[in-house]
Amino acid sequence: METFFFAIVALVAIVSGMLVVKCRNPINSALSLIVTFFCLATFYVMLEAPFMAAIQVIVYAGAIMVLIVFVIMLLNLRTETGSRYTHAVTVGTIIGVLTLIEIVYFFSGGRSGLTGATGGLNTETIERVGHTELIGRSMFTDFLLPFEITSLLLLVAIVGAVVLAKKKI
Amino acid sequence: MLEYVWLIPLFPLLGAVFNGLLGKKIKNEAVIGGIATLMIFCSFLVSCGILMQLIGLPAEERVFEKVVFPWIHSGNFKADMAFLVDPLSAIMIMVVTGVGSLIHLYSIGYMHGEEGFYRYFSYLNLFAMSMLLLVLGGNMLVMFIGWEGVGLCSYLLIGYYFHKKSAGDAAKKAFVMNRVGDFGFLIGLFTLYWWLGSNHNVWTINFTEIKAASSLLPYGGVVTIATLCFFVGATGKSAQIPLYTWLPDAMEGPTPVSALIHAATMVTAGVYMIGRMSFVFVKAPDTMMVIAIVGAATAIFAATIGTAQNDIKRVLAYSTVSQLGFMFLAMGVGAFTAGVFHLMTHAFFKACLFLGSGSVIHAMHHALHHAHSHDDPQDMRNMGGLRKAMPITFITFLVSTIAIAGIPGFSGFFSKDEILWQAFANPFHGGLNIFLWGTGAIAACFTAFYMFRLVFMTFFGECRITAKSKDHLHESPLVITIPLMVLGFLAVFGGYVGMPKLLGMLPNYFEHWLEPVFATAQGYAQTYVHAGAHHSHALEWGLMGLSVVIAVIGIAIAYILYIASPSIPARFTATFPALHRAVYNKWYIDELYDFLFINPCKALGSFLWKGFDVLVIDGIVDGVAKVVMGLSGMLKNLQSGYVHNYALSMALGVVVIIAFYIFR
Amino acid sequence: METLAMPAINFAAIMPETILSAVAMALLLVNVFVRSEQKAYLGYLSLIGILVTFFPIVAGWNAPVELQSGFNGAVLQDNFSLFFKGIFLVSAALSILISDQYMQREGCNHGELYPLILLATAGMMLMASGTDLMVIFLGLELLSVALYVLAGFNRDKLKSNEAGLKYFLLGAFSTGFLLYGMALTFGATGTTKIAGIAAYVAANPMITGNQMFLVGMLLMGVGFSFKIAAAPFHMWTPDVYEGAPTPMTAFMSVGPKAAGFAAFLRVFMIALPAYKPEWSALLWVLAVLTMTVGNITALFQQDIKRMLAYSSIAHAGYVLVGFVAGNAVGTAGIMFYMLSYAFMNIGAFAIILLVGRKGEPNNNVADYAGFGFKHPLLGLAMSIFLFSLAGIPPAAGFIGKFYIFSGAIQAGYIWLAIIGVLNSAASVYYYLRVMVFMYMKDPVEEFDWLKVTPAHALCLLVAVAGVLIPGIVPGYLLELAQKAVFF
Repeated sequence: METFFFAIVALVAIVSGMLVVKCRNPINSALSLIVTFFCLATFYVMLEAPFMAAIQVIVYAGAIMVLIVFVIMLLNLRTETGSRYTHAVTVGTIIGVLTLIEIVYFFSGGRSGLTGATGGLNTETIERVGHTELIGRSMFTDFLLPFEITSLLLLVAIVGAVVLAKKKI
Repeated sequence: MLEYVWLIPLFPLLGAVFNGLLGKKIKNEAVIGGIATLMIFCSFLVSCGILMQLIGLPAEERVFEKVVFPWIHSGNFKADMAFLVDPLSAIMIMVVTGVGSLIHLYSIGYMHGEEGFYRYFSYLNLFAMSMLLLVLGGNMLVMFIGWEGVGLCSYLLIGYYFHKKSAGDAAKKAFVMNRVGDFGFLIGLFTLYWWLGSNHNVWTINFTEIKAASSLLPYGGVVTIATLCFFVGATGKSAQIPLYTWLPDAMEGPTPVSALIHAATMVTAGVYMIGRMSFVFVKAPDTMMVIAIVGAATAIFAATIGTAQNDIKRVLAYSTVSQLGFMFLAMGVGAFTAGVFHLMTHAFFKACLFLGSGSVIHAMHHALHHAHSHDDPQDMRNMGGLRKAMPITFITFLVSTIAIAGIPGFSGFFSKDEILWQAFANPFHGGLNIFLWGTGAIAACFTAFYMFRLVFMTFFGECRITAKSKDHLHESPLVITIPLMVLGFLAVFGGYVGMPKLLGMLPNYFEHWLEPVFATAQGYAQTYVHAGAHHSHALEWGLMGLSVVIAVIGIAIAYILYIASPSIPARFTATFPALHRAVYNKWYIDELYDFLFINPCKALGSFLWKGFDVLVIDGIVDGVAKVVMGLSGMLKNLQSGYVHNYALSMALGVVVIIAFYIFR
Repeated sequence: METLAMPAINFAAIMPETILSAVAMALLLVNVFVRSEQKAYLGYLSLIGILVTFFPIVAGWNAPVELQSGFNGAVLQDNFSLFFKGIFLVSAALSILISDQYMQREGCNHGELYPLILLATAGMMLMASGTDLMVIFLGLELLSVALYVLAGFNRDKLKSNEAGLKYFLLGAFSTGFLLYGMALTFGATGTTKIAGIAAYVAANPMITGNQMFLVGMLLMGVGFSFKIAAAPFHMWTPDVYEGAPTPMTAFMSVGPKAAGFAAFLRVFMIALPAYKPEWSALLWVLAVLTMTVGNITALFQQDIKRMLAYSSIAHAGYVLVGFVAGNAVGTAGIMFYMLSYAFMNIGAFAIILLVGRKGEPNNNVADYAGFGFKHPLLGLAMSIFLFSLAGIPPAAGFIGKFYIFSGAIQAGYIWLAIIGVLNSAASVYYYLRVMVFMYMKDPVEEFDWLKVTPAHALCLLVAVAGVLIPGIVPGYLLELAQKAVFF
């Protein structure tokens, strides 16, 4: 049952992902991206990461994409005319096919099989402690420094956006 | 004081940098020349201090190695910027800085008003620095840097008057010949390093370490090859057969340069190098024989050429080549002390001679210039009778000439006689000794002849320039004559530190001084030299007397030919025109080289150019160039400027890499 | 409810980053009150910040390990990272010294420049001292985002915009690879700590057969290769270098590359030694490709900034040679080389910047005709930098190459060293071509617009000293580099 459900969501994710690239109207691309994000959120739920799913929906699908759609509407971007991707279709195809083969081979496990390391954070722990708390804990213990660096990163991004975009600085 | 040995090369370096960077702006000759001279003089003072301290130490402790900074360490290979102070290098730094200071001082007067005055002094300081690196270098790499540096400075200074084509050509010739020698030096270095390292795991280029490990070296074999390569390097730098022809041409440079670089210091680098590595050379008897023979041959060969030259500096140049031959003869027979001794005395009297000739040329140039004459100021046929006009120059020149001719009581006698005696008595080359001695003796005779010929033609007889010019003949200023007087003094008395034991008046300080340096080499020599016949004092006395007689004969011939009956040379020339032409044209050696090496190279070159080159090489070179250009163009085209192309190339890279690894 | 065990917060381990970030934030505030024509003062303030940052770096040298590591092993400020931090500070300081003149000339002297440079430097430092993949990644992002902005800093110039945008798009693309590689590595080993990965691999040697781990390693390699501009991930370099404001080109050609190498070295040598045969083979190919592509394309470039961009690709190739060698000599050589590269490359860009003027970048090699006669001292400085780039003694570039190649030879990579030397010989052509124009062509221009400000002169002086002194006296610096090697 779960596998079947996964297959459906995965299919939707792939199709909507392709639509992001293929759509000529930017609004349609943006909306397809939102669908993709929802599918990702679904995956998180299936991976027993409800907090991540919620964040995915709230931040990406909710905040960021809304902003993007606004921008597109404000800039009044029109449907793209003219042809695209005429340059490297052959090379692109080759790369695509190769990538596909590699991915299939990779996930089939190749010669050794795919085995990851398992740590203490299994289903049981997540159910007992709660996902949000676990994330919070690791963020303030193991990943305290990365967490702090993120704030710097955001600062740089803000400054950069201002420098590049503001009319008069 | 020993700790401060690094100051010695540093001072001239500072001077060179100062004049090189600021000299053009300063323009004040007194400042430029003064600073350059002061710098080298500071080095001289430090050298004196070091010498004093060395003298104060017991003989066996007179070795000091100073690592200024670690330089290149890479696995087995280790080369520090290290200086080695021992009796040998102490003598060398004294000569280089002492004579160097005098010549710097002299240059201030001589180069007065020359264009590029600052350039000259910058080069001169740079040369002094390189030469000091060469003699102080504690390992072969430091020495090699000095070795290359002096070659470069010599090139720059020979080509100082670069607008003159002959100067440019001479500079090029010197550079190319030196490069041939340097190549030999490098191969020798690698051979020795590699052999010691791979066979005995002694990976070193440090002199003291090589000395310690020298007992591991075999007699002959690979050592012969290495030392022969080193000797090729020495022939290039010290102008020995076959690489000597650059030195006479090097006289295109300013005269003080000829005195410092092409007489007193740089050209003796080959002799010094052999002395520094005596413990290696001695292990190759065949190389020693080659050195002795080449030295003797060069001595007589250059001496004969010297007899027929009319350019005052050329005579001195051939004389230098000849005297260097004597030094190599000494090295070749294992008489290292005698070779270094002659190196030192030669530095005194030859520097004095060159500076004296510079003084003469200076005066002649001045006089001729005033008289608007276009005669060559360097041609001795235009001179004559200058002793009255230039007394100081004359006296110092005469004293030095007597010294080089080998008249007892003057420095040259002690050193040259020591070499000749060693060539005869040292049991190194068995039956060859008598020939080596004979050749040397005849060369000494020639030396006395052509040197006095020079003196007679220049300072005696009638003045051959116009009366108008004659009025303008003056003695040179003090800044020129002071160095002459100092050097003249040394040319007389410099030899008393190394008086032969035989004369017994003074102990042979010089030999005792250098004994610890060459002790190892002498030890090795004992093992394969069967103690030769012990020569009696009577024989030594006899030979000494003979060499005096020989010198006197040479002088007498010169007197007869150029003072008593000056018509004889002309008649001689008329009787043996072919011989005279041959000697005058330096035995056609330049032509021979042209014929043997340069023309074939040119012919081969033009043949290859017309036939091989155009068809094959051009094809290949053009092909390579075209391929590279094509490749370059292709890569440029790949750089299309489209982001998606770039991304595509990245993606392709990733996919290929992953495919390679997971499908392996 | 369990209590939250906060990790030991050891500020000593991140002191340089902390100071730089604090100065950057302060400058952002100060910037508001500084008038447009006086933005140079921000530069001086940031220089003071950099000078202050040198203190913890010097003080931290050879510090006990408990002072060096912090945050549950997320950072380790060992000698290795301190050496690299020194390189970053030097390159940031030199770039700041030459920035103001250019930015004023081009009319884009916005005060945000200096905080961005400082934050980018902090990012590089985190890459060098990070021992957690997350720290390395975030450091790289911090650096990259700042660089994207700096590349496009000249907002009114199309080329600069293009450079910023291209760098951003391709950088984001490559970041994807890096992050995916890290994720796979995490999946395979269950930890993001470098020491943890090494320990896991040591405990489970069979893991090397796991494709997840293998592909993770490869993708991380790709991500780092983009940052150091190794072929075939180098294509962004010439366009970005050409378009970016020249001082920023100088900055991004040195620091980020060094940071990339620092992280690359640490992750691969410490976390992934089990894959050494694999990654050294991969890097062998990349090194050859990078050197050759860089040099061959540089041969016929007319634009000197593009030429130096390709040359910087080639230099990444030389450094990769030292990486492939994987021994102490090669690694010390890398560090020595990156430091001297900072001096010589920024020095060269400083001269390029001077030759240009507003609206006329004068970036063509032919524009340098007779430059050596018109400005002998600047010509001399440029010659020194070019000699060093070409690897001719006695410049530092020679010594660096010497050690890198001798490291390769000692590790048995004879052919790689030979290819490197050949490439180095070929590179002489295009460096000397500039000198030929400088000294053997008659001047076309008078170069009278050229003004050397004190800051600029200081930068050139330091750069010349930094090229010549280690070139002539390499021993001390090399000893330092050897002590900084982490194995």
